Amino acid sequence: MENALTSTLGTAAQKIAAEDFDGIVRRHQRRVHRFLLMLLRDPEEADNLTQECFLRAYQNLSSFRGESSLETWLLRIAANLARDHARNRKASFWKRLLGLDGDEDDGAVEHLPSGQASPEQILLAREDVRAVCEAAGQLSQQQRAVFLLRFVEEMELNEIATALDLQVGSVKTHLFRALQGVRSKLRNL
Amino acid sequence: MNNEQNAHDPLVERVLVSFDLAAEHHVAHCEPCQAEREKLEEALRQFGAANREYSMRPESFWEQQAARIRANRHRSHSRARSVAVLAPALGALLFAGILLVHRAPQVKPEAQALPTVQADSDHELLLAVERAVESDTPQALAPVTLIVDESDGNFPLEKTSSKKEMQSHAN
Repeated sequence: MENALTSTLGTAAQKIAAEDFDGIVRRHQRRVHRFLLMLLRDPEEADNLTQECFLRAYQNLSSFRGESSLETWLLRIAANLARDHARNRKASFWKRLLGLDGDEDDGAVEHLPSGQASPEQILLAREDVRAVCEAAGQLSQQQRAVFLLRFVEEMELNEIATALDLQVGSVKTHLFRALQGVRSKLRNL
Repeated sequence: MNNEQNAHDPLVERVLVSFDLAAEHHVAHCEPCQAEREKLEEALRQFGAANREYSMRPESFWEQQAARIRANRHRSHSRARSVAVLAPALGALLFAGILLVHRAPQVKPEAQALPTVQADSDHELLLAVERAVESDTPQALAPVTLIVDESDGNFPLEKTSSKKEMQSHAN
């Protein structure tokens, strides 16, 4: 099966095909899943779209030219899937009306690493994180994706631009607006 | 964080978004901006850490997910293979269908024309018989017409000669 696939691929993809695709899944599934989970705030959908992301990657391996890292390419597929998913969800009026839409509570607030902080410090930090989560929730999906890739995945601006198919200037604009929203939320605490 | 607006607000964002020498220089020497930057950076750091923590899953979760991805991959591969096998057969079927459609109009008009011709000739024949019966009774049917006329009580004058002929035959 892998041999048949390899014959149709370019050099960059050939290297990947030579590797075990399962190995690629194991190496990158956590990051792809985390990105989708943060973006969609729906664990079930994040799980489904992670699977879909790797399936698409496998089917389109021939289009990977190696211009970006494999991880950036996978995040790009994930971002496109999330965007399509959001469009479909917007269209499903009845789903929202009947309350079948995913629970949009951000579970991240309850998952602060406590370290050696005092209970008071943890409480304050939790408030800050809640404010950032709320601000992120009010961003457009594109802005949220940029914001999350920068401050959770700690990616460079050019990597974010490649992953989201944007110009670096647009990435900066999105980040700037996102930070303004976050600061205004933090001010209101 | 206080509710007061920092007069140098956008500079803090500019520093956090990308390297900006002028903004960096200002924030480094402005105490309120410095405090805001630290506060914002800390909140963002906590946000990132909380999200990374939240997305943690047990090893079994990742193994199950990898297995599902593998199964999806195999399913998609076998689907692609069956499409490759079925495509020529479907093509042949389509070709046969097109051939049938092209032939059908040539056969149909012939089949439909025959009954109309037949119907026309039948109709004409019937009309001819009717006309013949109405215009004149054939010689061989003359006795029968006489019997019919008698039973109706009609004895037309022109038929008397025929009656005499019949009597002479009887004698």
